Amino acid sequence: MVGMMNGGVDDARLVEVRFVTKLPSSLKVPMTSMKLSTKLVRAELSEIVNYLLLSMDSEFKQIAFDFIVNGEFIRIPLEEFLLRNGISTERVLEIEYVKAVVPREDDPLPHDDWVSAVDGSHPSFIASGCYDGYARLWKEGYQCSHVLEGHSGAISSICIIKENDSRNSNNLHIVTASKDRDLKLWQINADSTIDHLTKVRSLKTFHGHTGSVQCVSGVPSGDMVCSGSWDSSIKLWNVGDETEDDLVIKKRKVHTIGGGLNEESHLEGTSISTLKGHTECVSAVVWTERETIYSASFDHSVKRWDVQTGKHTWNLASGKLLRCIDVGGESSALVAAGGADSIIRVWDPRKPDTLTPTFKFMSHSSWISACKWHKSSWYHLLSSSYDGKVMLWDIRTLCCLAVMDSHSGEKVLCADWWKDDSIISGGADSKLSISSRISIS
Amino acid sequence: MGEKPLVGKKRMKRKYRDNEIEPRSTPIDNIPEEEEKEIPMHLLDDWSDDGSDDVDFLEDEESSDEEDWTDESEQSISDDGDDVEETSEDEDGDLEEDDECIVFGGKKAESSNERSIAAAEESDSSEDEVPNRNTIGDVPLEWYEGEEHIGYDKTGKKIKKQAKKDKLDSFLAGADNSGNWRKIYDDYNDEEIELTKEETKLIRKIIKGKTPHSDANPYEEYIDWFNYEDKNHPVSSAPEPKSRFLPSRWEHKKVVKLVRAIRNGWIKADKPKEEPRCFLLWGDDTTENERRGLSYIPAPKAKLPGHELSYKPPVEYIPTQEEINSYQLMHEEDRPKFIPRRLESMRTAPAYDNALKESFERLLDLYLCPRIRKKRIDIDPESLKPKLPHPKDLQPYPTMCFLEYKGHTGPVTSISIHVSGEWIASGSNDGTARIWEVENGRCLKIWQFDEAIQHVAWNPLPELPIIAVSTGQDVFLLDTGCGSEDQSQNIKGLLNVNVSVLTTNSEENSAPLVTWVNHEKYDGIRLKHFKLVTTIDWHYKGDYFCTVVPTILIHQLSKKQTQNSIKKLHGLPVTAVFHPSRPFFFVSTKKNVRVYNLSNQKLIKKLETGFREISSISIHPGGDNVIVGSKEGKLCWFDMDLSCKPYKTMRNNLKDITGVAFHRSYPLFAICSHDSIAYVFHGMVYSDLNQNPLIVPLKILRGHKKTNGGGVLDCKFHPKEPWLFTAGGDSVIKLYCNEAPSMY
Repeated sequence: MVGMMNGGVDDARLVEVRFVTKLPSSLKVPMTSMKLSTKLVRAELSEIVNYLLLSMDSEFKQIAFDFIVNGEFIRIPLEEFLLRNGISTERVLEIEYVKAVVPREDDPLPHDDWVSAVDGSHPSFIASGCYDGYARLWKEGYQCSHVLEGHSGAISSICIIKENDSRNSNNLHIVTASKDRDLKLWQINADSTIDHLTKVRSLKTFHGHTGSVQCVSGVPSGDMVCSGSWDSSIKLWNVGDETEDDLVIKKRKVHTIGGGLNEESHLEGTSISTLKGHTECVSAVVWTERETIYSASFDHSVKRWDVQTGKHTWNLASGKLLRCIDVGGESSALVAAGGADSIIRVWDPRKPDTLTPTFKFMSHSSWISACKWHKSSWYHLLSSSYDGKVMLWDIRTLCCLAVMDSHSGEKVLCADWWKDDSIISGGADSKLSISSRISIS
Repeated sequence: MGEKPLVGKKRMKRKYRDNEIEPRSTPIDNIPEEEEKEIPMHLLDDWSDDGSDDVDFLEDEESSDEEDWTDESEQSISDDGDDVEETSEDEDGDLEEDDECIVFGGKKAESSNERSIAAAEESDSSEDEVPNRNTIGDVPLEWYEGEEHIGYDKTGKKIKKQAKKDKLDSFLAGADNSGNWRKIYDDYNDEEIELTKEETKLIRKIIKGKTPHSDANPYEEYIDWFNYEDKNHPVSSAPEPKSRFLPSRWEHKKVVKLVRAIRNGWIKADKPKEEPRCFLLWGDDTTENERRGLSYIPAPKAKLPGHELSYKPPVEYIPTQEEINSYQLMHEEDRPKFIPRRLESMRTAPAYDNALKESFERLLDLYLCPRIRKKRIDIDPESLKPKLPHPKDLQPYPTMCFLEYKGHTGPVTSISIHVSGEWIASGSNDGTARIWEVENGRCLKIWQFDEAIQHVAWNPLPELPIIAVSTGQDVFLLDTGCGSEDQSQNIKGLLNVNVSVLTTNSEENSAPLVTWVNHEKYDGIRLKHFKLVTTIDWHYKGDYFCTVVPTILIHQLSKKQTQNSIKKLHGLPVTAVFHPSRPFFFVSTKKNVRVYNLSNQKLIKKLETGFREISSISIHPGGDNVIVGSKEGKLCWFDMDLSCKPYKTMRNNLKDITGVAFHRSYPLFAICSHDSIAYVFHGMVYSDLNQNPLIVPLKILRGHKKTNGGGVLDCKFHPKEPWLFTAGGDSVIKLYCNEAPSMY
C-alpha cells in the first residue's frame, strides 16, 4: 500500500518483487510479482504483505513479518540492502517472509536470591538454581512445584537429565552443581499432581572437586554427567545405575541452609574419571555426543575432549577469558562462546584456521553470561549478558532479532530455551523471566 | 774566433729560458783563457748583458773598472730593457759590427773609437774637458758637407771650414813630423788634434784590455785590513759580492711575466664592481639589517597605504552609513582611524587631519617602544618526546569497567584479591569487611566491626583462605569459609590461641606490644595493638605477616608470636611490605624506603625517594624493582640493581597517590589517586641487566565519582588476568577489564 503509493509518486527506483514463504497456506500471498520502491524498509514491507493477506481474507489479523533475501534478513532500507549485497534491481527479487519475533513477556517467577542457573530442556518443567542454595522446579512455567534443598552453597549450574528407556519415565532426574564443591543428584516424581510445594532431598552427592563446581552437563543418553570446577578439572560422574559398586552409603552431618545439623543417611558417588588439561577454572561444559565434551575455561581456551581416552582432541586458544559455551547451529557443529567481554564469538571447528571466529555478535555492552543454540534451528542463538539483556540472534544477520530487557538492568546470570518458542532467563534481580511466543521457523 | 763562445752562450741562454734551469758558470768556463785575453770587449759586453749571474767572475779590479765604463756607454740600451730577448739580439748585432771595426779598422771605426775615447776622457777627467767649438749639436755632419762652414760657435758666428789638405800635403807632413801619426782629425770641430804620449798609451792599454789609467796597479799587494787573529770564528773579510747590489734576474723574470700578463690582459688590477641588475622594489629591506650586527632590531614598518586611502577608492571600500554608525559603538582602539571617502579629483582632496599626530605617534613608537628580540627555539615538540611503543601494541591492559561491586555504605579503603582470582575482599569506612565473588559481583560475606577498616589482606596461600583485617587498634584474622571442609578444619586449628594472652616483648618491663586473643563472634583471632594499625602485609609463605602500628611488628601465625626487630628508623614508618620471593623486608618511612634482610636482620639498602611523604609501595614480582607513590602525587620507580636513586620519577596526578600495584604476571602497574583516577602503565622489566625497564603510560581510568571520602583509595590487579580492581571513595569497587584484540 505504502510502497505502491511511493512507487507511483516518487521517481525512486523500482524493483520487481515476488513474496514467497514457507509459512502455512493461510499466510501465503499470491505469487504474482509487483513493482515496489527500493526505499521501503522492513515495516513497510510487512505492511504490504499484511495488506495482501487482508485482501485475500477479510478476517485476517495483522502479523509482523521479517524478510529474508538470499538468506539474510533485511534490516536496512531495501535499496541499501541491494547495493550492499550487489543484487541487481532488474530481475525479479524473491523475498521470503517469516513471522517476526515479537516475544511476549510472561510473569516472572520470583526467587529469594539471585537466579544463577536455569534449565529448560524439559517441556513441562523449568529447573532453576538459586544463590540461596535451593534448586526449584517450576511446573508449566508458572508454579513452583519442587524445592531441592541440600546444598550449603549457592547453586551454580543445574541440569535436567534426559531420560532413557531403562528408567521409570515418571521420574525426573536433576543434577545440580554448587559452590560448596559438591554435585547432587535429585529424583523427582514428575507425575505427581500435588499442587503444593514439595521439598526434595538429594538422592546422591558427588564429592570430589576441590574447588567450587562451576558447571554441569549431562550426556545425551542420560547416564552420566560431567562437571567443571575452579580446581581446573572436569570430572565425569555416573548418574545412571544406582547399583554401581562405587556407591558409598554414608551417614554424615549435613549443614542445611536452614541451620541445624541433621543426621541423614546419604548416598555418595565418586567420579568415574577426571579430564585434566585446563589450567584455570573450567567455566562451562557441554556434552554433545556420547564421546565428545566441549569445555570453556578461564585460561582462554576451548577444548574438545574425547571421553574414551580422556584427552583433548581440539584446542582453541581464544584471546579472552571464557565464561559460557554451547555447541549447535549448522549441523550441530558450531561452537559459540562468550567471555569476559561483550562479544559472542562463534567458531567452526571444522575449519582449519579456527582462531578467528566465523561470527561475532557485538551488541551487548557487558560480559556475556550465557549463550545457547536453539535445539532445532540452525540459525538461532540466544545470549544473556551482565548488561541486563537477553538477545536473540540469527547467524544470517549480524543484528539481533529481539532484545529482551526483562531484568530491569540487573545482571542476567543464566538463560535457556524452553519448549522451542520461549526463552527463560534468571538474573540478579532474583527473577526468572519467561519470554514466550518466539516463532522459530 | 770571437763568435764561437758567443753562439754557444746564446744557445745556452735560449735553453735556460726554455727549461728554466739556473745558468751556471759553464758557458764562461768554456772560454779558453787566451781568447779571453784577446777579446776582452766581447766579454765585457756579454757580462754587461748577462747581468748579475756572471758578475762573480769579475773579481779583479781591472774588469770591474771596464764594466763601469761600458755600462755608461750602453746605458740607453740596458735601460730600455723591456724585452730581454730583443735587446740581447740587438746588442749582438752591435757587437758584430764592433768586431768588424776593430778587426779591419776603417774610418768609421776610428771615429767611433775616438768618440768613445773622448767620452772616456770626459768621464774620467771632467776638469780638463775642452768645450766644443762647434755648437751644432748632435746632427749628422753630412748636412754641412757642401757648406763652407762646419757649424756655429757660441756667439752664433759661422765657423769656417779649414782648407783641406790634400793627400800629398798630409803625406809630407807625416814624413816631416815624426809625431804626425798621433794627430787625429776632428770632424766635428774641423781641426786636428795631436794626441799626447799619455793618451796614446791609454788607448793602447784599452785595446790590450788593461786598466786604461797608467797609475793603476792591478797587482797591488793585499793588505789584510781585517784583524781576525784574535777572533774565535772566521769572519769573512771578503767584500760584499756584487750580486747584493744588483736586481735579481729571477725576480726580474717574474716581473716580466707579470708585466706580460698585465699587458695581455690576463691580470686585471681592480675589477669593476658589478651592480645587481634588478632588485626587489617592494622587498623587505632586512638584508640591510644584517650588516648592523646581531643586536640590531629593525623598527616595525609603518603600514603602507592601501586602496582605502586613495582619493577615489573603489566603491567597495566606502563604508555605508550604517557601518560608520557602528564605528561609534566600537572601542576607541578598534575604531578605524580613517574613513574612506570618494572625491571627484585629487585636487579636491583635503589635507589629512591626523598627519602630524600620526607621524608624531609613529616617532614616539619608534623612540619609546622597547623592542626585544624573542628567542624562539624551533624544535618540534613531538621530537622531544621519548620514543615509546604505541599502547595498542602493549595489549592487553585494563580499559573498560565491566563490573561493579556495590554494597558498601562508606568509602572503600582497601581491597585484596584472593590468589586464585575467585574472591575479592574489601574493607570500608563503614566498618564492614566483605568478600565478593569476582566473576559476578556477588557479596558472599560481611563482617561488621566497630571502627573503620584500614586494611584487608588475603593470606597468599590458596589453601588458607584467611583474611587479615585491620580496624582501629585491632587486627582480626578471619576464616572466610571459602575453603573446603578439610581446609576449614585446618584453619580452625590455626585460628585458635591456646593460651589466651601470648606476648612477645624484649623489654619485659613495658606493656605488651600485642595481645593475641580468640574472637568468638567471628571465630577468629584478634590481635590487640596499642595504636591504630594502618597496614598489613603477608609474607609470601603465608605464615608471617607484618603490621604497621606505626612501629613495625612481625607476627607469626603458626606460633602466635610477635616480634619487633626493626627499631632504629629515622622517621615514622608508613608502610611495610615483604619481598615476593626472598627474605627481604621493605619499610618505608615518610621520605625513604629501607630494605632489610630478615635472615640476618641487617639493613641492605636505603632507597632515597626525595619525596616529602610516601603513601604506598609495591614490589615487582621479579623483586628487583620497586614503585613508590607519594602524597605529592609523584611516583618513582626504583631499579634496585641500578642504584638507590629513582630510575624514573613521574608526576601524573594533581592530588596524592593512594595506592600503587604491580601485576603478578603481566608487565603492568597501576596507580590510583585522590582525583578518582587510576592510571595504568606498562612497566616491562627485562631479564637482560643491560636493558633498563620500559615504562609506558597506557590508560587513564576514570569512573569513580569524587566524594568527600576521596577518589580512588586502593587499586589491585587480578592475579591472572590483566584486570584492575579499584576501590573508590564512592563506596563502589570497580573491575576494569581488557578488551580483546581485534583478531579474536
